[in-house]
Amino acid sequence: MTIAQAQTLAQVLSERARLSPGAVCERHKRLGIWQEFTWEQVHDNVRALALGLQALGVARGGVVMAIGENEPEHFWTEYAAHALGAALVSLYPDQNTDEIAYLAADSGATVIVAQDQEQVDKALAVAREVSAVKAIVYWDDAGLWSYHDPLLRSFEEVQRSGREVHADDPGRYNRELAAGRAEDVAVLSYTSGTTGRPKGVVLTQRYLFDNAARIVGALDFKPGCEYLTYIAPAWATEQFFGITLGLLVPMVVNFPERPEQVLTNLRELAVEAMLFSPRQWESLASVVQARMLDAGPVRRAIYEWGIAIGREVNVGRLEGRAPSLAARLKYPFAEALVLEPLRDKLGLVRAKITLCGGSAMAPDVFRLFHAMGVHLRNAYGATEIGLLTLHQGERYDLETVGHWMQCDPRHGPPLEWRVSDEGELLVKGGSGFMGYHGKPDKTAEAQDGDWYRTGDAVSQTGGGELVFLERVKDMRRLRSGHSFPPQFIETRLRFSPFIKDLMTLGDERRDYVAALINIDMEVVGRWAEERNIGFSTFTDLSQRPEVRELIRGEIARINAFLPEHARVLRFANFPKELDPDEGELTRSRKLRREFLEERYAPLIGGLYAREDEVTITVPVTYQDGRKGTLTSKVLITEVNHAAAMPPPRQQLAAAEGAR
Amino acid sequence: MTPLAAREVTLRFGGVIALDGVTVEVRPDELLAIIGPNGAGKTSLLNVLSGFYRPQSGRVELEGETIRSLRVDQVARRGVARTFQGTHLFAGQTVVENILVGRDIHMHTNILQAFCYFPWVAREEDEHRRSVEEIIDFLEIEAIRNERVGTLGYGLRKRVDLGRALAQEPRILLMDEPMAGMNSEEKEDLARFILDVREAHKTPVVLVEHDMGVVMDLADRIIVLDFGRVIAEGTPDEVQRNPDVIRAYLGEAQ
Repeated sequence: MTIAQAQTLAQVLSERARLSPGAVCERHKRLGIWQEFTWEQVHDNVRALALGLQALGVARGGVVMAIGENEPEHFWTEYAAHALGAALVSLYPDQNTDEIAYLAADSGATVIVAQDQEQVDKALAVAREVSAVKAIVYWDDAGLWSYHDPLLRSFEEVQRSGREVHADDPGRYNRELAAGRAEDVAVLSYTSGTTGRPKGVVLTQRYLFDNAARIVGALDFKPGCEYLTYIAPAWATEQFFGITLGLLVPMVVNFPERPEQVLTNLRELAVEAMLFSPRQWESLASVVQARMLDAGPVRRAIYEWGIAIGREVNVGRLEGRAPSLAARLKYPFAEALVLEPLRDKLGLVRAKITLCGGSAMAPDVFRLFHAMGVHLRNAYGATEIGLLTLHQGERYDLETVGHWMQCDPRHGPPLEWRVSDEGELLVKGGSGFMGYHGKPDKTAEAQDGDWYRTGDAVSQTGGGELVFLERVKDMRRLRSGHSFPPQFIETRLRFSPFIKDLMTLGDERRDYVAALINIDMEVVGRWAEERNIGFSTFTDLSQRPEVRELIRGEIARINAFLPEHARVLRFANFPKELDPDEGELTRSRKLRREFLEERYAPLIGGLYAREDEVTITVPVTYQDGRKGTLTSKVLITEVNHAAAMPPPRQQLAAAEGAR
Repeated sequence: MTPLAAREVTLRFGGVIALDGVTVEVRPDELLAIIGPNGAGKTSLLNVLSGFYRPQSGRVELEGETIRSLRVDQVARRGVARTFQGTHLFAGQTVVENILVGRDIHMHTNILQAFCYFPWVAREEDEHRRSVEEIIDFLEIEAIRNERVGTLGYGLRKRVDLGRALAQEPRILLMDEPMAGMNSEEKEDLARFILDVREAHKTPVVLVEHDMGVVMDLADRIIVLDFGRVIAEGTPDEVQRNPDVIRAYLGEAQ
């Protein structure tokens, strides 16, 4: 069998181990040192694990669940499941017991592979609830020295039993491998559950190969390139990159020491390919911004000079404007003084393939990275149907999500798309939508004939690039009949270093747009300290008049880009941090709007009743699980208290442009 | 065999009797807490156990062997490690370097050999560096391994202090008020690591502590000192109900 003929990832792995056993394919920082794994070692580990899992009852058509950070064992578990013809459900490490229990029951998982004590505790609680779970395997024994549950097994123990099986019957693993087919279910990828309970999207081996081929067709991957895995394999996009492209390109997959260490690790590695979600890129951008806020005036001036030249040359080229001769002459100096050292500091100095995927990101962030000389690209797609568009080539429009990708005919028919009368994007082609696990009704809802309904409102530019506007159901109409794009406002406001999260309000019952802001405690706190503004808690800080004025200024700046009827007129700051443990955010840190609207109903009422302050009481959960309530006075601020003053001409022009 | 014991120990500073015929036995694999009001002699007892103070009478036995004639560093070499009230670390050095200091008693090369950097010296250095990394992993302080200790918050410094003590690979760990000056989150963190030390390494831990909540949660057994004497001994429940203890803490009922 050759790699081109392989139908499953486990087959590819076995073939890689045969062709280049000694080549490094994974690297993980353990005990302070980057430890390398060769193809042969990974293959050996996967084989031992697979046979060990088989002894625990995992069989063709079965389901294995993995929960933990991105570590080699997490990836090996997936390949081992594939080798047996079983599917993997990968979970975010911070998912709670209720969520895991639901997913275990819904998917029918029989074995949970968990990282450490924290995950094992949850898995044990889940196993008490879901009787189908027959074994829990852990790979990091810290804190587990005195656990004696009969369900528990260490990773090494399972691998040891697998090795014994292999010694007795050396052909067994290859027989299992050979039975693998492209139609095997590889992954049940659960949607993040912004609306209702999560649904498990069925991803086949063919789907993984198809999406990897789409990406390879659009970007220039070099075999052996260094890749940093950071986003969770629970998210389909990492399935394409770390899991699938890691084997197919092949890439060296680097695993950070701990998630908090990722920025340091990134700098040590200076990888060539990486994928972050908008939030991570934004946090990288705000690291730069916050550092520059702290820097002295001279350094800041040099930084700003360099970035301005980078902007003119790099962003200008990208957007098809010829940079001035002066800028081109200064560029080598800007590169040497500012841009290259900046990329070096961030660990992006060798980065050739840098991607942003997930939800929309403010073009400002994109431009900042491009000005630095990092060719950041956006990707767009849906778990159900795969990646659809990507910024390709040297020139692309940052306001779009790029050109359509091509399907390899081996994996399915070409991608086709159309826009329905409601403005919704419909897609078919490629390996197609295989439905939601065990939910035929939901599957039918998501389809229109053989078209998959993305639920996204889109348009297309003259150059054929797709523009993502908003989820169809999220475009919101005000009582006046005007509609406004809440995401547009939110992404752009989130780019402010002072704002961590926000929720825009306004619908058919409301006359205008209002906003609830979750300030960034760290940045605002430092800002307040610099100005000798005393504060005690988050609640106190968020309601300080100076802080409200600061946020008001940020909103007014964004308002200038919006048509008049879509501007934010009033806002209030949340008196506490939004918290996924309280269900206010999803695990991927998206807002749960309906829940928030219900929980903060009195505050929202106050915003629209033109009140100046509202006292609200919200339940809070402490880290140890204790419950309490927070009662706080929340002050409401008019954004436009200087309404009489007309905006400057320039801003008016920008507002015209935005329309 | 009893890992560490003080028998009939009396310690005087001039006219002040700090310890008056105190007998304490540390059992294998237990977390023993020593509590008592201010000036009861807790820290003195810890100093006697670590060989820092020589009692006027009585003996201290380390695995059955009396340590009276040993210097403090010799006691340390035999496996007694301690952490201090506050932190006694090198503020200008990094976390890794501070923990490496704890490896000192396991180092065999002298300055001249280290200067020549023979291959076996390099190998030894690698081994020490590796055990430091294992401690860093154990205490989850990867993110600060190259930070200077002086720039760290108090809670983290205490964790580094514990790391330094663990680097000695102690057979018994003495901790002097590890929780003093910490906020509740830092206390919870450190408490977890203390329990982990005992669980992972089966090392008995002797804890002198003021924070009753911590003591009652962590300790297997408690010894209560008052005016240099042992007034009670037992499980947290027994000690909490003991009338002598209540009297020592709250004063005599009228």
